[in-house]
Amino acid sequence: MTTFTKTSPTETSPTEIAASPTTLDPVLSVRDVRVRGQVDDREFVKGVSFELTPGKAVGIVGESGSGKTLTCRAVLGVLPEHFEVSSGDIHVAGVDIASATREQLTDLRGSTISAVFQDPASYLNPSIQVGPQIAEVVRVKKGLKRRAARRRAVELLAAVHLRDPELVYSQYAYELSGGMLQRVLIAAAIAADPRILIADEATTALDVTVQAEILDLLADLRENAGLALVVVSHDLAVVAQLCDEVLVMREGEVVEQGPTARVLYEPQHEYTRLLISEHEQYGLEKFLTREGP
Amino acid sequence: MAADPLAGRAVTGVRARQAGWRVLTTLGKSVAIFVPVFFVATFVTFALRSLSGLSPARLQLGESATPEAIHNIESQWGLDRPFLVQYWDWFTDVLHGQFGTSWVNGADVATLIGLGLGVSVSVALLALVLGGVLGFALGTLAALRRSTWVDRAITGFVTVVSVMPAFVVGIVLVEIFAVGLDLLPSGGYIPITEGVDLWLAHVILPALALSFDVVADVARQLRTGLVSAYRENYVLGAVVRGLSPRRVFFRHVLRNGVGPALATLGIKFPSLVGASVVTEWIFGLQGFGRFANDSAQAGDVPAVQGVLVVSVVMVVTFNLIINVVLGKVAPAALRGV
Amino acid sequence: MVRRVLSLTAGRVSAAILLAIALLAVLGPLLAPLDPLAVSDDTLAGISGSHWLGTDYLGRDVFSRLLDGSRASVVGALEVTLMALVVGAIPGILSVYLGRVFEWVTLRVADTLIALPFLLFAVAITALLGNGITQAMLVTGVLVSPLFFRVSRAATLAVARSQYVEAALISGASLPWIIRRHVWAKVLPPIAVALAQTLGVGFIIVSSLSFLGIGVQPPEPTWGGLLASDLGYLDYRPWAPFAPALLIMATVWASNLLADAIRDVSGEAGRALLNSRKVRANQAAAAGGTA
Ligand SMILES: Nc1ncnc2c1ncn2[C@@H]1O[C@H](COP(=O)(O)OP(=O)(O)O)[C@@H](O)[C@H]1O
Ligand SMILES: [Mg+2]
Repeated sequence: MTTFTKTSPTETSPTEIAASPTTLDPVLSVRDVRVRGQVDDREFVKGVSFELTPGKAVGIVGESGSGKTLTCRAVLGVLPEHFEVSSGDIHVAGVDIASATREQLTDLRGSTISAVFQDPASYLNPSIQVGPQIAEVVRVKKGLKRRAARRRAVELLAAVHLRDPELVYSQYAYELSGGMLQRVLIAAAIAADPRILIADEATTALDVTVQAEILDLLADLRENAGLALVVVSHDLAVVAQLCDEVLVMREGEVVEQGPTARVLYEPQHEYTRLLISEHEQYGLEKFLTREGP
Repeated sequence: MAADPLAGRAVTGVRARQAGWRVLTTLGKSVAIFVPVFFVATFVTFALRSLSGLSPARLQLGESATPEAIHNIESQWGLDRPFLVQYWDWFTDVLHGQFGTSWVNGADVATLIGLGLGVSVSVALLALVLGGVLGFALGTLAALRRSTWVDRAITGFVTVVSVMPAFVVGIVLVEIFAVGLDLLPSGGYIPITEGVDLWLAHVILPALALSFDVVADVARQLRTGLVSAYRENYVLGAVVRGLSPRRVFFRHVLRNGVGPALATLGIKFPSLVGASVVTEWIFGLQGFGRFANDSAQAGDVPAVQGVLVVSVVMVVTFNLIINVVLGKVAPAALRGV
Repeated sequence: MVRRVLSLTAGRVSAAILLAIALLAVLGPLLAPLDPLAVSDDTLAGISGSHWLGTDYLGRDVFSRLLDGSRASVVGALEVTLMALVVGAIPGILSVYLGRVFEWVTLRVADTLIALPFLLFAVAITALLGNGITQAMLVTGVLVSPLFFRVSRAATLAVARSQYVEAALISGASLPWIIRRHVWAKVLPPIAVALAQTLGVGFIIVSSLSFLGIGVQPPEPTWGGLLASDLGYLDYRPWAPFAPALLIMATVWASNLLADAIRDVSGEAGRALLNSRKVRANQAAAAGGTA
């Protein structure tokens, strides 16, 4: 069980980690995945491929409705009703999601792959205090006893930089702010030490400073816990800040894919160019200069 | 931070106090709702005498009584005092468990009601348990198998059940189990102290007759509650954290989806108590429903008032319990989330 | 709205059943082949050409009693419903306008009426007040009126606080037009649902009361009363309860079905569901939780 502590944000750039000589097996591989809606027989995701090794981060950008969330839910094996993966395959830690049993999927989720989403309040049970919901994961997935699980949950709350974790432990979701809730959700997601964390619009709807803190936290987790990240956002800046590789999606299609720097500096597709130019006035320059080669 | 034991203990104390406080607030809120209900109900009940214009004098002296004799008797009963004074006296007596004496035979009303209470409470509680259990089973099954034939079959069954009034069910049950199969007695009552099996044999049919209504409503509410809880994001959250379907159901779905069904139990309880008038008549039980009917037909106002107040007390108490349970199980439901 | 309700199968079925029951109520007493009160020596007879549903313990023709009793049974439920509408809706509307004290008191009274074990109260109060049909309808009507109180209060609140009425007034629409167009459109559907529901509930209560011999008293026949007189003779005529029980259940079912149908077509979601298959498909998809 890894307990990581907060280190001051290092200046190690993501590319350095990716370039580190250890050639690792991918923890997540997505190959030409297509998602189809059964109701009107339409394809909502039209061929997404990427690989993720430990400590690496892949970003997915694209306008709202472009199929980012469906891609994530396909990877987690939790597509909404009437949606299915129509072709392609997904391997999580070597397990094929399509042929995995329900038990296997339950085992994988939480302890190998986990996720946080937008609107964190809605992802917590309103009838249970937030702490016990984290302790529950620890108890079920790691087999800890009640008291130990509780202690671990408080540790996790501290680890996601929540002040006064003991108090937060016994609060209900409605008593916490959006930023705190997202931290709680991240704590719950990493409670069983997964190797992959999907952050689907995890910072959308948070105000800018809180957003920056959450992104720092994710970067922190990646560096110190070796977590592989899938970062989804409609905001190019968010993805640029965290990821080694970027997928640009539009209407279910991946229109551009490549190392972050390349996509930002030499965008091939006009849609990517549009996204970048839209962002110029929001200070994307900063990231370009900081993370540029 | 968590390493500081003193801080930890202080927070634990705060938490315990918070939890206790939450229960108290729910209780307080519920009491705030039910105190006016109790007042209005007792007031209406008490006003019945004035409304009906009945008097013990007529019961005791017959139609040919002289005005003086009537006046005499009425002042004996204290009926010539101002209305509000009478109400207040009666109300304070009621708070002490005193319902006065019967106009018909001068017996203590509280004692008379007590005689029938065992029967009625037995039947009502058993009906509640039967209805609750069956309703929960059906509602859960329908929700877990939503939009399959199982769901449709249950929905159909529940619809049929919901339009069967207690007295129709009662007759059908007598017909099948007492007359047709001759398995169970068609009426009468034996206290539980003289044997659980005998008691059960006598109360199961009336309880079943009463429970149909509960089954239907609980099943419907629970199905709706569970289906909508399954659509909530926190369920997806729990699944993604790797919790098993069983755990997701019991701890996350059921807990939040059970609210409306529990509330329904509270709402249904009055009609359960009320329908005892009918079932006790069908099954020949001497419960308080029968007592209310007989007393009312005889014009015995204090007896009727007593029964009605007792029924209101039962309803109010039961609803308080339901509210506290609801506050414990699904605090979100009470917050209106 | 009527047309849209009838476009649903549920709406058509329930309307057909209720129409048949209404016809029975109007024509039943005229159609009764024999005097429903005439006693004969031919007691507890089985089904035969002269007695289509046999005779009861006093030798009265059950078929005639069933037909004759339909009017009292149906009219009773209708009276209860109208009574509840009047007793509930008027304070419901006024509670929005007559100030806080009136509002508080009416709300508490409504709370109380809902919490009362109503059958017990209906029986006890009716019997105390003289056990007549008028008393029964009055008491029952008051006891079930909270539904109308709530519905009319909510509708009035919605209209009173709505800006579209004001907007329409400013833009020069006439008051009758506004009432027809906006107020009725908001108020009518919930009232209609409540009417249909109360009809069902009222029917159960009225038949329960007549079953106990309260309100409509023997020997005058009602469906509930018929069941009561069958109860003692189940050994001889075990099939006897079926006809009245079936009629009662069909009426209650049709009322509930009608209430659901009205709710379906008047709700925003229901309307969309009717009009477009695409919307339905989307809803089906959106309804999905986890796969
Ligand atoms: N639960 C759902 N029900 C119906 N349609 C859905 C659902 N989820 C996604 N879709 C459809 O799939 C498309 C892609 O959605 P999504 O993956 O959520 O987009 P993104 O996350 O990129 O904003 C959208 O156009 C949306 O209409
Ligand atoms: Mg999305």
